[in-house]
Amino acid sequence: MIYLDNAATSFPKPQAVYDRIATFMKEQGANPGRSGYRLATDCEKMIGAARHEITRFFGGEDSERLIFCMNATDALNIAIKGVLRQGDHVVTTHLEHNSVSRPLNRLEHDGVIEITRVMHNSEGVVDPVEIRQAVKANTRLVALTHASNVLGTIQPVAEIGRLVAETEAFFLVDSAQTAGVVEINAKEMKIDLLAFPGHKALFGPTGTGGLLVGPGIDVAVFREGGTGGDSSSPLQPEGYPHRLEGGTPNTLGIAALLEGVRFVAAEGCAKILQHEQALIARFLGALQGVSPITVYGSKNPAHHVGTVSVNLSSISPQEAGTILDQSFGIAVRSGLHCAPYAHRSIGTYPEGTLRFSPGYFNTAEEIDAASAALAKLAASF
Amino acid sequence: MEPGLERYSRQILFSGVGEAGQKKLLASRIVVIGCGALGTVQANALVRSGIGDVVIVDRDYVEENNLQRQILFDEEDVRQKLPKAVAAERKLKLINSKVRVTSIVADVNHKNIESLVGPADLVMDGVDNFETRLLLNDVCVKNNKPWIYGACIGSYGITMPVIPGKTPCVRCVFETAPPPGLTPTCDTAGILSSTVNLVASLQVAEAMKILMGQEDKLHRDLVAFDLWANMFKTLHVSKGPKPDCLCCGQRNFEYLDAKDEQATFATSLCGRNAVQVNRGESMRVEFDSLAQRLEGVAEVSHNDFILTFKVDGFEVSVFTDGRAIIKGSNDPAVARSVYSKYIGS
Repeated sequence: MIYLDNAATSFPKPQAVYDRIATFMKEQGANPGRSGYRLATDCEKMIGAARHEITRFFGGEDSERLIFCMNATDALNIAIKGVLRQGDHVVTTHLEHNSVSRPLNRLEHDGVIEITRVMHNSEGVVDPVEIRQAVKANTRLVALTHASNVLGTIQPVAEIGRLVAETEAFFLVDSAQTAGVVEINAKEMKIDLLAFPGHKALFGPTGTGGLLVGPGIDVAVFREGGTGGDSSSPLQPEGYPHRLEGGTPNTLGIAALLEGVRFVAAEGCAKILQHEQALIARFLGALQGVSPITVYGSKNPAHHVGTVSVNLSSISPQEAGTILDQSFGIAVRSGLHCAPYAHRSIGTYPEGTLRFSPGYFNTAEEIDAASAALAKLAASF
Repeated sequence: MEPGLERYSRQILFSGVGEAGQKKLLASRIVVIGCGALGTVQANALVRSGIGDVVIVDRDYVEENNLQRQILFDEEDVRQKLPKAVAAERKLKLINSKVRVTSIVADVNHKNIESLVGPADLVMDGVDNFETRLLLNDVCVKNNKPWIYGACIGSYGITMPVIPGKTPCVRCVFETAPPPGLTPTCDTAGILSSTVNLVASLQVAEAMKILMGQEDKLHRDLVAFDLWANMFKTLHVSKGPKPDCLCCGQRNFEYLDAKDEQATFATSLCGRNAVQVNRGESMRVEFDSLAQRLEGVAEVSHNDFILTFKVDGFEVSVFTDGRAIIKGSNDPAVARSVYSKYIGS
């Protein structure tokens, strides 16, 4: 099987991640921060180390403000619902995943907020100036994906961050497609709230993710529960990270995520991005000779993470995806990719597209097999 | 005769029933799984006979081409696009207001079947595909509930009562469901109402014997007939349950546990009006023979990768491993129904 669905979750993972899961389960499975015995304190130390290393990885300054979550969706919900208040305005884009759109739409539906969606250009990139112009006096939040999960196009986050910083609004970045691929420095990019998944390009297991909360922002408490320390306090502690982390954490997942992050840090985001862009370049190059096929968004590999959407005109993406799976052993995702606004704006709603998302472990040969299979399909219908 | 029993007087006069038998029927609860051709004939007879509590479960809606054989439905039900279970309930309540009739509009599958058959004293098989029959067999054997297997196609019918622990179960006789696309279905090969009526009537007679405690009167074997070939046969099956039967011998309830995801799996596709139906076990579908069988009912075309046909407002794409994409509905239950009607169980 050739796995080209890394935008959904990465597969395979580095060997160190698998090994860590096995050894942690067998040797270190205590509840962190609840007890003083060695096994529990080791566990707590591990979580502290993970918090610290991941905060540093993203250019954050205060690792207490790195909150572990279930996934990026969880982090985005905590951030969006934790900062927005009655009468606020939000600027966002048509490229967002439902993990951003749906929480915002719910608040709009309930009469809490007002939303402005900024359109992207034909390449699939939003203009920082248009974002800045959409910010009003009551704009509390600018919520933006770092790279479209449909088109793979990287957004000018640093420039937008600089412009948003001139305003009173907070800047929330959904790094679902970039964390582990594109270098992120929250401080330099002026990102106030950074939501990331653990299970995609950071190579952690599913069930991991996080939210980096910048200095000077307070995200409302949303889930109360045990925190180990401060047990006598009748309310959830105000301080981070316990303010946003009630209940036993996903220690197994966090331990393995830390190995994934260490792998990425050792390889370096630049090398990983270069590899993915080389695969996209090879794929787009091969598809130039294939007809009838449509490639959506930018054709310049330098604008991409390892994701590209295409369609064959003669066969629906669902059918093409099924044939790629069963006749060619190639796993891709077809449909709307949980991003209906993006598909509306590129004209592929409701059928969607066929999305190829190679990762760091895919090879040139696998990309050639995918483009050859598409060529064969194009010729068969 | 006790008051309230008069309406059943002609049935009570029959020596096999009597007043005592009738009271047993009135105290019984039957769940009819599937309310198509077999299910409507069964439910009609059961409610008229005074089974005290009849529950009907079906996922489909009444269509015009059902009226030729599905005796509880009429043209008004088609106009109103009523769920079959609801239309049947309305009709049955007009027929006999003295018994309890309940309808459940649901797709019967491994997740819900245990709760559906839970309250039943006996279960009637009115389903339209073999996979669900094996599921029914699993749940009834596991919970020790008698059920009456019945199936028909064209002029051919087959039925057998199953009393778990006493008689062979359906898996003692047939080990597995046939692969998709290889077996004809009523929607590809047709069905006579006479066939339906005969199978369902035999099923109801066996059900009544069991409910009235007359197991000695059961025919016990597999009854099969072909009205066009003038064949009426009793196929002898083993005296009791087979010790090596996967289901009733080893109590391995493969279809109910669905551990190896053998059951057909349907998932609605992101954002569009379509559902993908996956066979648990992948198998090769012969496009030529499937195309041949579908020729009479739909416009079919195929190449090496895909076979497509349009029927009843659905656009169906079948892949060589038995997977299918059914466009025209977001409802996995509807898609499963289209799949079992035209591609097979």
